[in-house]
Amino acid sequence: MTAPAASSRPRLDLLDPRQAAHLAGLELLTEGVVEGFLTGLHRSPRRGFSVEFAEHRMYQPGDELRYVDWKLLGRKDRLYVKQYEEETNLRAMLVTDVSRSMAWSGDAETVLSKLDYVQRLAAALALLLIRQRDAVGLIAFDETVRSVVPARARPAQWHQLLATLNALTPGKGTAAEPALRRVVDLLRRRGLVIFISDLLLDRETALLALKFLRHRGHQVIVLHVMDPAELELGGPAEARFEDPETRQGVTLRPKDWVDAYRETVLGVVKAWRRACRASGMQYHQITTDTPFGLALRRVVGGASGQT
Amino acid sequence: MSSFLHPWVLLGLPLAAVPLILHLIQRRDPPTVEFPAVRYLVQVTQEHQRRLRLRHWLLLLIRALLILALVLAAAGPSAPLREAVSHTPSALVLVVDNSPSSGVIVAGAPRLAQLRTAAHRVLERTTPSDALWLLTSDGVARRGTPADLLAAVDSLQPTGRRMDLGEAVTTAGDVLRSDSRPGSIVVLTDLQATALSPAPHDFPVVVARAAEPAPPNIGLARVDAGAQPWTPEGGAVTVALTGDSGTAPVSVVSGDGPARQALVAAGGAGRFELGGAVPGWWVVRASKAPDELRSDDEALALVRVAPVARVAWDPGDRYVSAVCDVLESSGRLRRGAELNLGSLGPGLSIVVPPVDPAALGSLNRQLERRGAAWRFGALVTAPGVSDSGALTGREQVVRRYTLEPLRPSAAAGVLATVGGAPWVVRTGDVVLLGSRLDPSWTGLPLSARFVSFMDAMINRIARGQLALLSGAPGDAVLLPDLVTDVAQGEHRWVVEGGAAFHPPAAGAYFLLSGSDTVGGLSVNLDPRESALAPASEDQVETLWEGSRVVRLGQAPGAAFAGAGRASLQGPLLWLALLLALVEVALASGLGRAR
Repeated sequence: MTAPAASSRPRLDLLDPRQAAHLAGLELLTEGVVEGFLTGLHRSPRRGFSVEFAEHRMYQPGDELRYVDWKLLGRKDRLYVKQYEEETNLRAMLVTDVSRSMAWSGDAETVLSKLDYVQRLAAALALLLIRQRDAVGLIAFDETVRSVVPARARPAQWHQLLATLNALTPGKGTAAEPALRRVVDLLRRRGLVIFISDLLLDRETALLALKFLRHRGHQVIVLHVMDPAELELGGPAEARFEDPETRQGVTLRPKDWVDAYRETVLGVVKAWRRACRASGMQYHQITTDTPFGLALRRVVGGASGQT
Repeated sequence: MSSFLHPWVLLGLPLAAVPLILHLIQRRDPPTVEFPAVRYLVQVTQEHQRRLRLRHWLLLLIRALLILALVLAAAGPSAPLREAVSHTPSALVLVVDNSPSSGVIVAGAPRLAQLRTAAHRVLERTTPSDALWLLTSDGVARRGTPADLLAAVDSLQPTGRRMDLGEAVTTAGDVLRSDSRPGSIVVLTDLQATALSPAPHDFPVVVARAAEPAPPNIGLARVDAGAQPWTPEGGAVTVALTGDSGTAPVSVVSGDGPARQALVAAGGAGRFELGGAVPGWWVVRASKAPDELRSDDEALALVRVAPVARVAWDPGDRYVSAVCDVLESSGRLRRGAELNLGSLGPGLSIVVPPVDPAALGSLNRQLERRGAAWRFGALVTAPGVSDSGALTGREQVVRRYTLEPLRPSAAAGVLATVGGAPWVVRTGDVVLLGSRLDPSWTGLPLSARFVSFMDAMINRIARGQLALLSGAPGDAVLLPDLVTDVAQGEHRWVVEGGAAFHPPAAGAYFLLSGSDTVGGLSVNLDPRESALAPASEDQVETLWEGSRVVRLGQAPGAAFAGAGRASLQGPLLWLALLLALVEVALASGLGRAR
């Protein structure tokens, strides 16, 4: 028995995000990411919905053996895996933070800014959903609602979303509540809300709005996007650290505060996770150096019951 | 006192300010960094700011101390040891207080025995390379080997001489200054408060004192025989007691006469009337019941018994006549021809200058014919003051004739001076006064002491009895000019008139001029020796700054502490290492905010 040869094309979903962004533009990158992601996934990202068999395809390394069609192997002496197609009319809304803090990168040479990362991740999520024939929309916000794309399931929808995402520029402050209220207007039926932000906002207000969405029956996924430099404090021996949105500042020696800062950030993440879980929402913390494929896997896995 | 091998290195001490300066420089204009998660930093710093600030200052302090410790260590510091086990070659003056109070019996033995034991133990710790002196109450610092000084200590006995501890320390310092070795002074004493006096010193002083408290004591402070000479009818003696509270029976006896006894309170005095005696010198002895300090239980006074002088004077001389009337009424003279007062007579004469200057030449010739060695000279009208002495105080002298010796040997007869020039002289049986006894010549006739002056002149000076002196053993007693010898029993000291005599012990001494007895010297214990109360350590340390008071048993260990020095370099380097470790720990993970 010989396994089929693996594709020689690089798996964009598994590359370093910065490297992947260099290789292709937003559209090609997104398609490559989703292709690669789906190639490795082999099962419905939304396993909770009703699914039916769609087609066979050649086995590729990384595919789970339980999807191998053993009868076909017996007949043809070749490895095929079964693919399923969902039967759905899900309406999803991507709520994306484009505030000034999202434009920040701890090291612009090696890491994408949070906004760049989110643009690509949102496009990939949109493409993934559209390919499943779900309706996808987009709301971008900073202090106010900046852009709105109502949810549609048609194939041209993805290109409209791409155009909107491409046009996004960093805004000023952050206020999630108006954007989340807008979701209520746009999603009349139960749907999926993916809230993507660095969560440098008023936590209580944002949580209240998210809980309201949950109360309306929507499934809510919170993606907490962080730069690696926001997890580990660094910088010069002594510096004044200034918030680009509020201009609030504090002067300190980073090496004195490394441990305390790390504990505080972990505490914040923990608090968000606990609050979301208590309200039946999913919470994922993603850093901007995480390959898009892995990020998608966590989100899709979470949406189908894995957190 | 700490000292340094390389004191110039101490110039680097200001380097300790470098960490602070660097800190201040680094504080200026830190760069601004954009950081979206400032809200987390604010939250963190609010929780830990106080601790971090404290840590920063602690770090600054530790770094400054680290530099200080290194600079001090580089300077090579050393400090004297509190107790030396061994010592470098040293100079030591051992002061052993064998004053009369050291004879007090404590726990069945004289205090001096304890001091001797302590002196032994100190001397046993000396080495052949040490320079040693022994200083006792005689005030003489004797140098010797340890063996010599041990022998000297063994032979020490309580003496009658008071020891002023301040003077002893000063003397010891003078001795040590002559030696290049590091010096120290060890004082073994009962530490009487009355023996202390200030003493500037630049050597370590260790005062070793007895631990046991001093017993209560009462001693004879003074025996006063009053105005002399006594008449053959007798006289009165006043005896004063000093010491702790209480009374003591006192007995007074003159020669072979009957003893008079009375109870006298400490701090008070008793008067004892003694009966008549034949003319001559008599010793009046006072004694009290014995106590723990025997040497102050007896005292004496010398008394001269003689019939009162029979005096002839000029009733026209107003002031002389007045004083003679007073003395006659009080029984201190009678009218007669034994002594001529005012002019030159055939016998004893007290001669004053004549009123008429023209008569001076005649008077001088008469004096020369009498064999007098002095004569009247030129008139001096410049005001002067008599020099204070045994005979006179400081009296105004407006006019006087100079008194001129006819032979060099006559100079010994000077009894009083004005500005150093003879004013009262005695030559043979004649006494010459440079001024007339009149206020226009001298203020003496108007002063309160005129009566006692004339009494002494008539009853003692003119009759050849020059002085009745008193003192304590070892004191410097100034002798009158005419004295050539001092005698006590069979013992005789040849002395120089006008010089000081140091009586070696208590007792009665007679002053001789040739074969004539011209005075007496009563020598009794210094009454301050009777006060046995010790001084406190504070008193000692106040008077002798930097001194150290220890018990007698601790004296050997403390004796050479000044010579034993320990290097502080090692401890300072250890301290620097410890500070460096703490600094590293604080500056790295241990001190970080969590």
